[in-house]
Amino acid sequence: MNVPEGLRYSSDHEWVQVDGDSARIGITDYAQDALGDVVYIDLPSTGTSVDAGSTFGEVESTKSVSDLFAPVSGEVVAVNDELADAPERLNTDPYGDGWICTIKMSDAMQLDGLLDAAGYTALIDG
Amino acid sequence: MVPFGGWDMPLNYRDGTIAEHQACRSGAVVFDVSHLGTVRVTGDGAFAALQWAFTNDLNRIAPGKAQYTHLLDADDASVLDDIIVWWVDEDRFDVMPNASNTDRVVNALSEGPLVPEITDVTTNRAVLAIQGPDARERLAAVSAEAAAVGRFAVARVEIDGIPVVVAGTGYTGEDGVEIAVPAGAAPALWQRVLAAGITPAGLGARDTLRLEAGLPLHGHELGPGISPLQAGLGWVVRFDKGEFRGSAALAEERDRGPHRLLRGLLVEGRRPPREGQRVLLDGTEIGVVSSGNFSPVRGQGVALAFLDPAIADGAAVVIDVRGTEVAATVTKPPFHR
Repeated sequence: MNVPEGLRYSSDHEWVQVDGDSARIGITDYAQDALGDVVYIDLPSTGTSVDAGSTFGEVESTKSVSDLFAPVSGEVVAVNDELADAPERLNTDPYGDGWICTIKMSDAMQLDGLLDAAGYTALIDG
Repeated sequence: MVPFGGWDMPLNYRDGTIAEHQACRSGAVVFDVSHLGTVRVTGDGAFAALQWAFTNDLNRIAPGKAQYTHLLDADDASVLDDIIVWWVDEDRFDVMPNASNTDRVVNALSEGPLVPEITDVTTNRAVLAIQGPDARERLAAVSAEAAAVGRFAVARVEIDGIPVVVAGTGYTGEDGVEIAVPAGAAPALWQRVLAAGITPAGLGARDTLRLEAGLPLHGHELGPGISPLQAGLGWVVRFDKGEFRGSAALAEERDRGPHRLLRGLLVEGRRPPREGQRVLLDGTEIGVVSSGNFSPVRGQGVALAFLDPAIADGAAVVIDVRGTEVAATVTKPPFHR
């Protein structure tokens, strides 16, 4: 499984790319592989406030539906709308074109509760 | 791999469910469907036992043909299993129930006055289902004889000196054949089929293909409390052949009219409906989804649902998808053409 260095990871199998107080979010390679072919995503709306650990969307594959959990708290400031018609990008490029949204973080200290690449690799190998 | 009816089965191979699905609609795929049971029924009582146990009428076919049929609950006419019968020889029937229903079928076949010889040969053989518009053309490179077995025909064939039984049956809405091969010879045949350019496909694609084709799955569209008439499969039932298991209860339902009917739902947009979700018309619940998913061919969500029989084709309904109302249209399956 691909676990890029330089990202933070949640135990719910999401990645966070930090740039100042903004956090771009997606699902990991491990998550997309476990989901199987993604056919639908329920995206959050720009301007929505999210709390770390709460549900902010849903991903449906041919075999199951899974909640998306916000890895950090803040306001959704950008959404990858192209996923609505091309949710398969979550499978083909989970760390790139398959990004889901950007959250303007209200508490950057929450990042300390996330894993680094080594910690996440240990989690999924465990 | 996932557990399924006591078997470990692949959900998908390397390319994933949707690629496998599309390969079946546009090319050719092979499924390992060894999990289907094979109950061999032979001897003098065989024909009569099948005529009593199942709903369809074997007088409509002949040796060398296959027939889709149902096993009903004797008391309430629920579909205990849906079955393909391969009439291999005059006095030999290979009865193929679903993974976990073999015992029910054996018991029903033993109820009549003349009990035939019944042998569960499931573990002796493997079954490969080769399906898709190019299935016959590509399979011909392995065995021209097997590839030529017609729709709902059954034939004994030798492939590389190995005796197999081939039937022109399947569960995808596409043309193709199913091959029952001695278990020990199955891996070599599987490899030869792959080498002929046929894509391996798993349970995930098998389910999306049968759903798109509007074919029922036992446990969803058939099962306890569901009769063939409710599932829109009245053609599987031949009241004119005389009494059969469950016929009295089913005739009662026929006369008063089923209280619900299996219909198709075409979703506006990609969101897959799921089993158990409520279907509403003008705010009133009119039925429940029995199976739902994304249709790769249509690029839309599709579902099968049991609805109030008064609902017309074309009715605009909503599906309650975990609290979100998703718009859909009532339609007649199949969805893929």
